Amino acid sequence: MIPETLKTSLKARVASALTPREAAVDVMKELQAHYGWLTDEAVEEAAALLGLSPLQVEELATFYEMIYRRPVGKKVIHVCDSISCWCADCDKIIQHLKDKLGVGLGGTTADGMFTLIPCCCMGMCGDSPAMSVGGVPYGKLTPELVDEILEMERNNR
Amino acid sequence: MPKLIIDDIPVEVAPGTSVLEAARSVGITIPHFCYHPALAIAAACRLCAVKLLDGPVKGIQMSCALPAQDGMVVSTTDPEALKMRSLVIEWLMLNHPHDCPVCDEGGECLLQDFTIAGGHSHRRYQGKKRTFQNQYLGEGIQHEMNRCIECYRCARFYQDYAGGTDFGVMGSAGRVYFGRFQEGPLESPFSGNLVDICPTGVFTDKTGRFRARYWDYQFAPSICQHCSVGCNTSPQNFQRETIKIVGRRNDQVNGWFICDRARFDKGYLNDPQRPREPRLDGATCGDDVAVDAAAKSIAEFVRKNGADSLALVGSPRLSLEGMVLLAQLARAAGGARLCYFGDPAQQQGSVAAARLLREENSAYVRDIEQAQWIALHALDLIEEAPMLALSVRKAFLAGAQIFLVDGDPIPARNTPPFKYTAVESLDQVPFEKGGKGVIICGAGKKDPDLLAQIASCGAKLVMLQPGANGFAAGLLAQEHAASPLADLVAARQVRGVVCFEADVPEGLLSGLEVLASADWRRGPVEAKSPIFIPTTTWVESDGTAINYEGRAQRFQRSRLAGLPLKGLDPKYYGNATEAVTLHPPRVHREEVPGGAERDAWQVMAQLIARLGGEPVVEPLEGKWSALRSLDPEGEGIRIFEIVAGE
Repeated sequence: MIPETLKTSLKARVASALTPREAAVDVMKELQAHYGWLTDEAVEEAAALLGLSPLQVEELATFYEMIYRRPVGKKVIHVCDSISCWCADCDKIIQHLKDKLGVGLGGTTADGMFTLIPCCCMGMCGDSPAMSVGGVPYGKLTPELVDEILEMERNNR
Repeated sequence: MPKLIIDDIPVEVAPGTSVLEAARSVGITIPHFCYHPALAIAAACRLCAVKLLDGPVKGIQMSCALPAQDGMVVSTTDPEALKMRSLVIEWLMLNHPHDCPVCDEGGECLLQDFTIAGGHSHRRYQGKKRTFQNQYLGEGIQHEMNRCIECYRCARFYQDYAGGTDFGVMGSAGRVYFGRFQEGPLESPFSGNLVDICPTGVFTDKTGRFRARYWDYQFAPSICQHCSVGCNTSPQNFQRETIKIVGRRNDQVNGWFICDRARFDKGYLNDPQRPREPRLDGATCGDDVAVDAAAKSIAEFVRKNGADSLALVGSPRLSLEGMVLLAQLARAAGGARLCYFGDPAQQQGSVAAARLLREENSAYVRDIEQAQWIALHALDLIEEAPMLALSVRKAFLAGAQIFLVDGDPIPARNTPPFKYTAVESLDQVPFEKGGKGVIICGAGKKDPDLLAQIASCGAKLVMLQPGANGFAAGLLAQEHAASPLADLVAARQVRGVVCFEADVPEGLLSGLEVLASADWRRGPVEAKSPIFIPTTTWVESDGTAINYEGRAQRFQRSRLAGLPLKGLDPKYYGNATEAVTLHPPRVHREEVPGGAERDAWQVMAQLIARLGGEPVVEPLEGKWSALRSLDPEGEGIRIFEIVAGE
């Protein structure tokens, strides 16, 4: 159940869109922020708000990699494994992240802080290899820099 | 008209035709998966690559998405195109499980055909295949996602074409998954078409699972008998059992698709409880014995009570042939009364529709699809004519306004795939002298005056008939001034009846003597009838049906009459051990077990001969003889000229 205030603001967002579908991503992001991830319940709530079927919301939710249909940690790390970052040896960075956090791709750290997910290009090819942590982009990564960033992000809740 | 050259063959096609269709028009099939003539172009599978050697565009192109243009020189056999197609199919096959031996699609699989046609025969990929969890999608359809090649045909059909909202495509890239949000029966009344439209075995017909292969089936062009739309189908039979029913293309009627009732509602055809043996006074008898007894009983009754007090009762379940001969039989019986309907209201509506519809005002399917407004007059369309809902949806998507006039609220399970406005009367439908409008109503139980009023407003008309062959019943009831049985009973005008595939309610039967009956199913008439002759259903008979718009269509026998081999009574086998082997009995026998049924019109023809009438060689005589040459694989013909030319 979402609070009435959130419901009202989402309804207003949907009403201001040309087609309800256009507001779908915003609604899903808001619900995700509320629940921590897009729960089954949230999908059905989004569907009701948007006038779509739950399946139609699910189609969108599962397409976008920043909509999480499973529980995630407090901050999600998206590490790019696309072509430019791969050329800049992102494999080493990814391996370092796995070792450092003690999780595989898709895993969440035991303290619930980080979830590690590979992603396909954040438009930061010039600064490859790149990743984002909790929505904050970081480029020109080295294992040392990754350690620093993780330390900082862990403390900077 | 663009002129182009495909593989050295000059082709001229209508503007807008794709190169793929242009090639098909001269007999060249370019392999394709995502392309389907009924759906929008996706160009997702990349298999239909051809090379353009000269003309406005050059090089490798996707032939499904490329409109034919003047001066194009197309090669489907160019080494570059061949290479591209073989690589594409190899890549589409990466994750395919190669489980053809246990897949129901095997033998009727586009993926098999086009894998071979595409030139992929040797697997190089040695890696792991991606796999999925399947979903329960209801009792009609079996889901096997691992076989998917991501052509998107299913999702495009289900949501875009049929307007369903509970099935679609999830995920992205290599994780694309076609299914539902949660497991459960598919909600669309057209969901069964996923079976036909999937080029491989992701969706197969659960009701006919693991029963037979394509090459085992007997099939023939047939016409669905569930409602008066008359969709074209192809029943697939194996060992005297209808295993599956698939859609058959007829652009004038159902396009490519059929509804789920047409596809899945087939248990009654295979029912071992169907009456199979002729019967006289409760005991099984020979066919001739039953017919003789029936003729004798009719003659005696007429001599004692007069032909006036005898009614020959048919129904909209009869084929046109049966209906025509019923009238001849009434003459042969000395002028017995004739009933094509039991219920007066149904007859009124059906006759009025048959009278009111003419070539000019009876809507073609394309009239519905291209209409600017459509009024559904007190009608639950999904209940009475599901496939027309898809035509109305096409009009709706093109901007037509849809009205539900004077209708009861439509139950949620029958929510149509389009939006409509409910209004109280036709006056509230904003149209000017017809325009490009269509009024759709159910004719059964409608007041003839109301139907006449609807017909007078200048719009194109769809008047749905009560029963698959209701239009023919209406025409013949009018021609022979037949009365509904209930009226005759109420006026105490008949005392005896002979019934042919007629469902007479017990209330009406109680005061009547049933002399004889012929039917393919059981019911109160059959129970009360001292003489009974089994008839064939539409899968086991040849016949003609006239649909709501007056289109006569021929259906062909797609299997022999008789008991299905599966579950066959051990008495037909040599011994008890043999009986459980699901093998045809090794006992020599001249007749098919339980195969004594004949088409209802043949039974009538025999009775006519016994009663001294003119022998019937061909049931479609006189004006109807024009329908003798009706092509079962054609589009059918509208009968208005035939009826008028009398």
